Amino acid sequence: MSSFLLQRILQGIVIMAVMSVIVFAGVYAIGNPMEVLIPPEATQDVRLRTIARFGLDKSLVEQYFLFISNLFQGDLGQSYIYNEPVLRLIGNRLPATLELVLTAVLGATFIGVPLGIYAGYKPESATARIIMAVSILGFSVPTFWVGLILILTFAVSLGWLPSGGRGDTVEVFGIDWSIFTLDGWSHLILPATNLALFKLAIMIRLARAGTREVMLSDAVKFARAAGLSEATILSRHVLKLISIPIVTVFGLELASTLAFAVVTETIFSWPGVGKLIIDSIKNLDRPVMVAYLILTAGLFVTINLCVDIGYAVLDPRLRRGRAE
Amino acid sequence: MTALTMPEGEAPILEVKDLATHFFTRAGVVKAVDGVSFSLNRGEIIGLVGESGSGKTVTGFSLIGLVDPPGRIVGGSVKLEGQELVGLDDAGLRKVRGARIAMVFQDPMMTLNPVLTIGQQMHLALAAHERVSKGAARVRSAEALTRVGIPDAASRLDAYPHQFSGGMRQRVAIAIALLHGTRVIIADEPTTALDVSIQAQILSEMRELAREMGTALVWISHDLSTVSTLASRILVMYAGRIVEEGPTAQVLRAPRHPYTAGLLRSLPAMAEPGTDLAQIPGTTPSLLNLPEGCPFRPRCERASELCAKNPPMTRAGERGYRCHHALEEAVSA
Repeated sequence: MSSFLLQRILQGIVIMAVMSVIVFAGVYAIGNPMEVLIPPEATQDVRLRTIARFGLDKSLVEQYFLFISNLFQGDLGQSYIYNEPVLRLIGNRLPATLELVLTAVLGATFIGVPLGIYAGYKPESATARIIMAVSILGFSVPTFWVGLILILTFAVSLGWLPSGGRGDTVEVFGIDWSIFTLDGWSHLILPATNLALFKLAIMIRLARAGTREVMLSDAVKFARAAGLSEATILSRHVLKLISIPIVTVFGLELASTLAFAVVTETIFSWPGVGKLIIDSIKNLDRPVMVAYLILTAGLFVTINLCVDIGYAVLDPRLRRGRAE
Repeated sequence: MTALTMPEGEAPILEVKDLATHFFTRAGVVKAVDGVSFSLNRGEIIGLVGESGSGKTVTGFSLIGLVDPPGRIVGGSVKLEGQELVGLDDAGLRKVRGARIAMVFQDPMMTLNPVLTIGQQMHLALAAHERVSKGAARVRSAEALTRVGIPDAASRLDAYPHQFSGGMRQRVAIAIALLHGTRVIIADEPTTALDVSIQAQILSEMRELAREMGTALVWISHDLSTVSTLASRILVMYAGRIVEEGPTAQVLRAPRHPYTAGLLRSLPAMAEPGTDLAQIPGTTPSLLNLPEGCPFRPRCERASELCAKNPPMTRAGERGYRCHHALEEAVSA
């Protein structure tokens, strides 16, 4: 197990190194930020001094190694636009995205999986048909439209919930969180629902397909022949047997939503990282883009590592390097 | 029915009468089990023999009330120690299953849950019928595993199914079936998926266990030679019905039904080395909308116009057969 972990961590480091090169070269290719930053009426002298100040007179390779050596000192550079360290800029926004996305993905999983198991267990029942209809809606209705409808319904017409912003926050471990205040929750619930809908649909379908398959297996039949109750069979046998694809999709959805919750963040003016990255792309704010993309890659690598560990915990057949 | 085969004064532990299980498919009604009757005494082993599709497995599942839709028991009676199981509700059946009547399946690779330890699965099976602490469950599970011949049972409780060989997994399944001192075990071809040397071991161990614990066995198999070493009586099934029954030695020596005779002729052990094996022409009929008359008629060399009518069960002593043109003498090997 520990050799497996070590191997995966080494793989992760290699992926991160390759990603940093690709990201750096890619962002370099997008365009020259100086065209945006320096006013057209500036003199040649001012131009050259500004370019030198940002270190853009050096070659790409030199710039890359400068970036890497700074990275190892915990410095991801300064934003061109905000004139602030990139790390602090992202650090201020990340908790907002984190709490929004975690609420959405966890909620979708803990609601979707039981619904899916039920739909797979009693596929012919009316309830199962309703659940499946909801999941089809979740798949096919565009996120931005649902967001607008949610605002129209609950914020504008009914006036029950606020239409945007984060609400009151509390500082825990030096970071501001909304999920620890009631007002924060009232702001969180609409965007989280909006984000969760698609994931809910996926979780329902995964759990249903898995349950339908497992219910026909000899293992379930044998458990029934041993006199186990249906509740025990579902909670002890079936849930664990169907969990591998669910954990996989959970990890993928968590990572991709953390990186790309931008549509929902924009609609609900949620001050997360999604808005930051869109602005930085518009302004060619290279340090922010590079740092954000590398952090995102790191996030994917970490979450995938956790998913792999989850596999080994859930399915003994996948454990390697274990003496028989 | 077979009052003659029963020791006097002892009621049969399992009594099956006119059991019928039909599958209501879109194409029509499949009469997988159509009027099966037999009885089983305490500690007795009977063999239920037939080709694939003869309805023997469905019979097994019907006995424990585990027929999957669109199948359903449509008639007859299954009495376990006098208690009627047909028509019993789910909760009632659940109490009986695993506690008084259990089943072992064909493929040991598929019957155990791959993601739970053996100990966890045995604990669940124990807890299904009685309140049992984790510690007590481990002790009893280890005992049960030792009984079926698993060495170092206590430490094997924490192992997962994939860490066992096929034979060992089948032993675990048998141990689970025996956990509650089960009176009747339905064994659905439990050795078919195993290699021959393991088959023989499991067979002799099952016989021992049945004797020691007074457990009766319904041994379902397509393999006459396996059943002949194990069962005291044989039931031959064809197209959802029992076509011949009787004490093993008598049925094997002098089959009365042409189908049984055909099965015996096709056994490799019965054939002259180097010659082709005899086979029964044709295949088992589709059970979908089976026509009236003897279902074996199209494959039978002795068939006549009389066979267009379904033959009734003819009884003679301990023997019984469903044939208008029963064989009188032993077939020469």
